[in-house]
Amino acid sequence: MKYRTFLATLMLFLFSFNFGILVISAITFKDTANSAKERSLGEHYFITSALIKDFHAVESRGNDIEGYLDSLLQPYSYLSEDKKVKLALYKDSRLVYSNRLRIELQDNLLEPPKNGNRIVSIQKSEDGTYVIVSGKLPDPYDSYTMSYLYDMTDEITSWEQMKNMLFIIGFILSCFLSLSLLFLFNRIFKPLAQISQISRSIADGAYETRLPVSGHDEISEMAQNFNSMAEKIQNQMTELITEAEKKQQFIDNFAHELRTPLTAIYGYAEYMQKAVMTESDRLFAINYIMSESRRMQTMAYQLLELANLKNDQIVWKEQEISRLFQYIKTTLHNKIIEKEIKIEFIYEMDIVWGDACLLESLLVNLVDNAIKACSKGGHIIIRAAVENGKKMICIRDDGKGMTAEVLNHITEPFYRAEKSRNHNDSGAGLGLAICKQIALCHNAELKFISHPGEGTTVKITFTTSK
Amino acid sequence: MASILIVEDEISINELIKRNLQLVGHRCTSVFDGKAAVSEIQDHTYDLIILDIMLPELDGFEVFKKVDKIPTIFLTARSSLSDRIKGFSMGADDYLVKPFEMLELLARVEAVLRRTQKNRSCFELGNVRIDFDSHQVFYMGQPVECTPREYELLEVLVNNRNIALSREKLLELVWGYDYEGDTRTVDVHIQKLRKKLGWDDVIKTVYKLGYRLEVNQ
Repeated sequence: MKYRTFLATLMLFLFSFNFGILVISAITFKDTANSAKERSLGEHYFITSALIKDFHAVESRGNDIEGYLDSLLQPYSYLSEDKKVKLALYKDSRLVYSNRLRIELQDNLLEPPKNGNRIVSIQKSEDGTYVIVSGKLPDPYDSYTMSYLYDMTDEITSWEQMKNMLFIIGFILSCFLSLSLLFLFNRIFKPLAQISQISRSIADGAYETRLPVSGHDEISEMAQNFNSMAEKIQNQMTELITEAEKKQQFIDNFAHELRTPLTAIYGYAEYMQKAVMTESDRLFAINYIMSESRRMQTMAYQLLELANLKNDQIVWKEQEISRLFQYIKTTLHNKIIEKEIKIEFIYEMDIVWGDACLLESLLVNLVDNAIKACSKGGHIIIRAAVENGKKMICIRDDGKGMTAEVLNHITEPFYRAEKSRNHNDSGAGLGLAICKQIALCHNAELKFISHPGEGTTVKITFTTSK
Repeated sequence: MASILIVEDEISINELIKRNLQLVGHRCTSVFDGKAAVSEIQDHTYDLIILDIMLPELDGFEVFKKVDKIPTIFLTARSSLSDRIKGFSMGADDYLVKPFEMLELLARVEAVLRRTQKNRSCFELGNVRIDFDSHQVFYMGQPVECTPREYELLEVLVNNRNIALSREKLLELVWGYDYEGDTRTVDVHIQKLRKKLGWDDVIKTVYKLGYRLEVNQ
């Protein structure tokens, strides 16, 4: 593109430049020729009129003109001092006088029109270019034809010199121009080369490269747009990478969660098969095998639930808060009694919109977590209220609370706040991930507020108008 | 035989490893997190540590930095090459990935102990004494003539005592993978050992499985 533009511009310039020189030299030539003609015509007229007077004088003295021609015309030879002017006098196409005339005049020049008009022409011969003016002498001497030849070789030569000079200057200018064009185009096309290089490096994965922006012209505007495009690409790539990392994290965790119970089940089965053992050893091993299998079962079930939640549409219905709270009470009755927990329900609204099963599951899960966090005789408050025009359900416990670090990860699948796994806790680490998904399905926001030792508050804020 | 520290947060697996190691006669201590492991290492001396990597409080690599000259086997669900290389480059003696077979763990424990314990004790049971250093077997103080295969079989049985070994496993461990004989070879060698050492009651036939060398603990 660069070289095509360069060549096209250069050719266009060379054409117009040379054409200009051509036109100028043509005009100059014409001027030169015209002035030579004007001058010749003037001289011719002067000589002719002088000659007529002389003829009259000769005739008045009764002499024959032809005998005096030489002496009559002699004075005019001063004109040819510089050898540029030649004179020829014809009588009835017969040369009667000439000085140093060496060219044959064309016939039409020998017979100029009789009305006194003169013929002007430029003729080239071996020894130069001549302007020839030829005209008949007026009556009664119209048998005579006077030809005036002006040698304009010098003018032609100087014109040619000027023309050559012009072309030489033109050539030098063209060279200079082509160089400066090349330089200019290099400058103009430099950003393009830069863009192509940088876009290549972006394509190769260096998403953080940017074009340098300077000035306020079209190029810098384009560079800015290009940079903002690169920025967007980079952001999207980062997003994709984080997404992929999250997925990988999930798979890693999943594999780990699968492997651990499998190792235990296989190990205890192997132990039972091969080791010498007492009845109590046997029961011990079987207990582990059963609880680990149960753990896998729970995990499979919860994973399925999580997957279904992500795909399925929920059934929106009016749910009475009192019924939901009653459901929590009955489902978790045993655990509440066992831990002697004081549980308090506060209603400040009557209904929420949502899916019965999912809302039940969400609340039971959260309250169950609250019970787990509480020590014996703990206190849990569940409050349904309208806050800032939005319906919300809030579960507050006075249990052990969590650190900010734990809070950040708590809804990630398979995340465990307590790394040391207790096999009595059959959870697979998916409970809160499911809760978060249920909240998402209801367009609700799930928020945890907690400090170690100060208990935890979970807030479900419904953002839908329903 | 050796005192072993088991650092594993999963209670079920910790217990499983402990039980299996106890079967073959090791003394075991279980801890469930990194900090406990570090204080345990500082307070007591151990011959071997079995160390999980993903631990609460302090991860396995951090714990390992505090370990001074105690042979360590990493036992972890992290199977990636980079983790394994990291484990080995830090100076671990072995790296075992979950899920693992108990026999493999025992074999590796045995291998590490054999490498690191210079004065290996001998094994005594009843009238029989086996000297692992000189590869000699004594019955009532008298040396017993054993073929190399018989001795190797005896060593495998002793190292995995109280654990039943299938004929195929014995064939693999004693004769090697590429041995082309059938499992009756094992039976024949077992009979010979029983006769030579008077161990008819000690090397028990486990129904439908194989053999087990039983030692009362």
